[in-house]
Amino acid sequence: MTNPTPGASRREFLSTAASAPLVAGAAAGVLGGEARAQTTTGAAMAGGQVLVTLKVNGQTHRLSLDPRVTLVDALREHLGLTGTKVGCNHGQCGACTVHKDGVRVLSCLTLAVAAEGSEITTIEGLADGDELHPMQAAFVQHDAYQCGYCTPGQILSAVACVKEGHAGSDAEIREYMSGNLCRCGAYVNIVAAINDAKTKMGA
Amino acid sequence: MLPFAYEKPKSLDDAVKALADEGAVPIAGGTTMIDLMKLYVLQPPKLVDIGGLPGLGEIEETDDAVVFGALVRMADAAEHPLLKSDYPALSEALWLAASPQIRNMATLGGNVLQRTRCPYFRDTSYRCNRRVPGSGCDAIGGINRLHAVLGTSETCIASYPGDWAVALAAFDTEVDAVSRAGKRTIAFADLHLRPDDHPERVHALKEGEVITHVRVKKTPLGKASTYYKVRDRESYAFALASVAAALVMDGETVKDVRLGLGGVASVPWRAREAEDGLKGQELTPETARRAGETAFRDARTYDHNAFKVPLGVETVVEALMSAKTRA
Amino acid sequence: MAELPLIGEGAPRIDGRLKVTGDARYAADFSVPNPAYAQLVTSTIARGRIVSLDASEAGKVPGVLKVYTHENAPKIEGVPFFGKGGQAYQGFRPLQGVEIKHEGQIIALVVAETLEAAREAAFRVKATYEPQTPAATFGDGGTETEVAAEISKQHTDPKTGDADAALKDAAHVVEAEYETATNHHNAMELYSTTAHWTGDHLTIYEPSQWVYGLRAGVAGELGIPQDKVRVLSPFTGGAFGSKGTVTARSALTAAAARALNRPVKLLVTRAQGYTTASYRAETKHRIRLGADGDGTFVGFVHEGFELTSRPDTFLVSGTESTVRMYGFKNVRTKVSAVRADRNTPGFMRSPAEVPYMFALESAVDELAWKIGMDPIELRLKNDTKTDPITGKPFTTRQVRACFERAKELFGWDRRVAKVGAMRADGELVGYGAALACYPTQLAPAAVRLTLEGKGRARVQIAAHDIGTGTYTVLAQAAAGLLGVALDRVEVELGDTNLPAGPISGGSVATASSVSAIMKAAEAIRLRLATAATTSNDGPLAGKDKESVVLKDGRLVAEDGTGEDLTDAFKRLGVGTVEEYAEWLPDGVDEKAMRGLYNGSVKIVGGPMQDRTQFSFGAELVEVRVNPRTLSIRVPRMVGVFASGRIMNRMTAGSQVLGGMVWGVGSALHEQTEIDRRYARYVNDNIAEYLVPVNADIVHQEIEFLEEDDGEVNLAGVKGLGELGNVGTNAAVANAVYHATGFRARKIPIRIEDVLKSHLV
Repeated sequence: MTNPTPGASRREFLSTAASAPLVAGAAAGVLGGEARAQTTTGAAMAGGQVLVTLKVNGQTHRLSLDPRVTLVDALREHLGLTGTKVGCNHGQCGACTVHKDGVRVLSCLTLAVAAEGSEITTIEGLADGDELHPMQAAFVQHDAYQCGYCTPGQILSAVACVKEGHAGSDAEIREYMSGNLCRCGAYVNIVAAINDAKTKMGA
Repeated sequence: MLPFAYEKPKSLDDAVKALADEGAVPIAGGTTMIDLMKLYVLQPPKLVDIGGLPGLGEIEETDDAVVFGALVRMADAAEHPLLKSDYPALSEALWLAASPQIRNMATLGGNVLQRTRCPYFRDTSYRCNRRVPGSGCDAIGGINRLHAVLGTSETCIASYPGDWAVALAAFDTEVDAVSRAGKRTIAFADLHLRPDDHPERVHALKEGEVITHVRVKKTPLGKASTYYKVRDRESYAFALASVAAALVMDGETVKDVRLGLGGVASVPWRAREAEDGLKGQELTPETARRAGETAFRDARTYDHNAFKVPLGVETVVEALMSAKTRA
Repeated sequence: MAELPLIGEGAPRIDGRLKVTGDARYAADFSVPNPAYAQLVTSTIARGRIVSLDASEAGKVPGVLKVYTHENAPKIEGVPFFGKGGQAYQGFRPLQGVEIKHEGQIIALVVAETLEAAREAAFRVKATYEPQTPAATFGDGGTETEVAAEISKQHTDPKTGDADAALKDAAHVVEAEYETATNHHNAMELYSTTAHWTGDHLTIYEPSQWVYGLRAGVAGELGIPQDKVRVLSPFTGGAFGSKGTVTARSALTAAAARALNRPVKLLVTRAQGYTTASYRAETKHRIRLGADGDGTFVGFVHEGFELTSRPDTFLVSGTESTVRMYGFKNVRTKVSAVRADRNTPGFMRSPAEVPYMFALESAVDELAWKIGMDPIELRLKNDTKTDPITGKPFTTRQVRACFERAKELFGWDRRVAKVGAMRADGELVGYGAALACYPTQLAPAAVRLTLEGKGRARVQIAAHDIGTGTYTVLAQAAAGLLGVALDRVEVELGDTNLPAGPISGGSVATASSVSAIMKAAEAIRLRLATAATTSNDGPLAGKDKESVVLKDGRLVAEDGTGEDLTDAFKRLGVGTVEEYAEWLPDGVDEKAMRGLYNGSVKIVGGPMQDRTQFSFGAELVEVRVNPRTLSIRVPRMVGVFASGRIMNRMTAGSQVLGGMVWGVGSALHEQTEIDRRYARYVNDNIAEYLVPVNADIVHQEIEFLEEDDGEVNLAGVKGLGELGNVGTNAAVANAVYHATGFRARKIPIRIEDVLKSHLV
């Protein structure tokens, strides 16, 4: 099983992305050439840039962003954290689910600038080093996916579902996991995985 | 999205000042605002992010009311013990809405102002009087299965898609709002505006005015209340028809009753005549059905939504019979 | 040649860890240096001409690099429509002129420094049209109906005996019309294309279920040699038929990247996906099915009407399957194409069977009620061992065994054979059954297989894992054949630098790829065995080389004597043995292999020269209907399938479970709404185009029957991707009839349809 990445391995890419040149370069492309409003902190003029500090998976990132950048686009296109997926961009599918201060939210309907000051957890931040989170392990064990595209969102939603206390019965799990569409139709296996993981999560 | 200015005030006072700028709109959960901005349906020049403002995130009980801070998240309100025990319709209308993620984001103040799902409103390439006054209504004569049968006009047949506001409409509810002009209280029945001649005006708030609280007057009707929602799939779907029903029973006889209708009307709908007809009656599926028929007596249907009348009637029956089991 | 040993039948996916950690890399996840972002602008009319396209406001958006319209678009050659042997999803190429052929046609491509600027600029492109009245769907003025057999070389109308005469004398006849709705795949992964040039070499990252086809298509459209193009799609976030053909966006993005001299990343919106790629078109069916007094079928007439576009004839021709389901003595069929002003439809999971089997399996149920027979009994009474059209035998056909086991698992004997007679928890209960089928098809495949003396193996093939478990089952096949542990096998897929694999469509991927692996593995075995048995010393010296196999990291003879792999490799004097193999299905000539590399598809199966090959299954569902609101739920589904060798119970199970979920969607939820005035899709999103959510799927139970079918291929593998999706919709509709007396001849079944029937 290989995962071809031309040029750089994922790890290398992440370290590059997190360092200043790539991010600043991306922003400079916008700022350069045009006379633009100045970058400010915490507020922005229309058409300007805003300095945003994002805390993602325990790491702090300083970005200069168009205030229109959503959290999912900031994660994927600015920080190289592509585990969070885009399935609709309109809050209809749950693929972009992340945790914001421990609460599951949709990163496609969250402005990056509005996420400042919050602790964001994405699928990349769930495992403990090499050890998978019990929910991740349960998804593998129960084949709770097929194509895997909705899976990061499903798993983050599932972890929250257990923590919220909404995994008490199969029916409750089904209802509280209905914000995450799985077009492959792995629902019964997703429910089985959550039931399995919830005991291991100490719920 | 079109470019916008963004400001994140630290206090309500600052927010009110920031909202005084022309075209400035408040944003909190963003679940409606960002969605519609991405579709270019809304193009605000300035967003005032009130999501983190202190003091508006609590549910409090006063002597005569349950007071909801406008920034309480839908999910938190749905779980609130007081709602679950004394106002189940309010709790159910919340957890039957949207998805867990959206309920974690969306605030109560924003939720009551949820915009219609009319596809012709949501796509700027169609004619829509609500979006562009005077441009026409493509929903009339188009695909209008999900549209309203009550409270429509020649200019607009869009339905109000939300749930919680439907439950609020069944109770004596008020909203507190603030702007630079000061504070005021608006009766819930006056908050949403029927399309009539000006479908572009969907609520009674003025420019720069923001909801701070929603207050529901305490009532014995709360205990035996329910929110019953019929939709095309089991979850994460808008109502085809929904009913908030609340009862005070005297044995088998209806002493007091409230009925809010959702998914079928241009605004959160209170079926007052149907309520009046039920009072003093024995509550049976037959009397409940008559109440439903009264509620939909003035319905006006279009190409694809005529089914909402019989469905709505039966949903009234389901809701009332279900509420009765709690009386 | 050796049989395929079973290894890891219940093993979890080998790519599972990548999928649960976010490390699985889908097309839009690849990083390219300094990308520019592209967005499409699409037409808001379905038919007419562009009078003017004003890109001036768009051009003023800060960060915009270029706006391509028909006036300045790169020249695209246009490759032929898939149905005409090419790779294109539709024959018509947008941006090459002013003509508008369907709603949502690409009319501009905006490229900008940032995603936000590209999106804003796309909104600011303003088109003025000269519209003409479009024809949207069946029954609209301006549609053109043509007989499929007269316009399509691929299509014949299967026929036997004299069905019309037989029906005249039949004791019981059902005559009815059925309809299925427009559906869109709505894979969770959005369409995207990233194009990156290095010199004259182009790399394309795009979600694909056919990377060689995409390579050929893009190269053809740009007029460059195929070997200058590399396509990568190691993971595809759901495809279901939507990512098999080449759409206009790929070459446009590549051309823009070439002109702008930097990588371009195009992200397509969910709504644009409805009109810039394919979909399942609506169908209509006229069925006449007759039986004699005891329920023996005497005649079957199936006439199908399929919607297609003006420029292209896309037909699924499902009569090829329905006529083979029962022992019909007399059959007449006819398929017609109806042209409208729409984008060209295409393959969507079980393209032919989902609509056509809905019609047949509903009619069989109707006939059972008419006769007063149990609907399963009626099906079994008309089971057949031979193909009624060709007279050839089915290789395997366990229809009876599937239904009998499914009945047992379901508790079918609790069924009360009366409409509306069953209730539970205050709700109406209905049971419904239907037959599932899918033709067993195969396609040419090439593979490179490597075995190291240290016991590691590698499979390299440009097949695809679109969620189907391909990585895992190919690793299992290699592990079993080469005698190494599953976790010692590496699999590389979805890359045109690899040997050409089959298109992931028509349920051909596993059987075809495994067949190629078997061929390569046999060559590896033979090299090692020959060296060991012809050597002067060693434990295998002098043994029969045919009796020597690779097992548990050793080379062993039948009597158990053998040597470690490291010794066997030492004897060859190499550390690694690599074999490249090309495999062709029965009756396919060698030219097909060159075709495979050049992006041409050859799929064979179903009715063959000497046999007919299908997978079968039985699907039983329970529905619950609220007696007041008449809303329908499906609390329980049972599926029993016979589909040859099951490589991996877990991934196979997931495929049919998922297929049945699709069946629920097809039966109750999924419908693309078309505004007939404008021929436009109205619910082009996944909030209003409803697919099942978790809460819709309560209890599913599935089982695979043992089936040894050596005739279909040496591996005995049939296909599974599409089988589970067939019949479910009819089973639900039949159950709704049982519960309510409402016969749904149109799907999805909507609450208003049921309400209407109860109001009359």
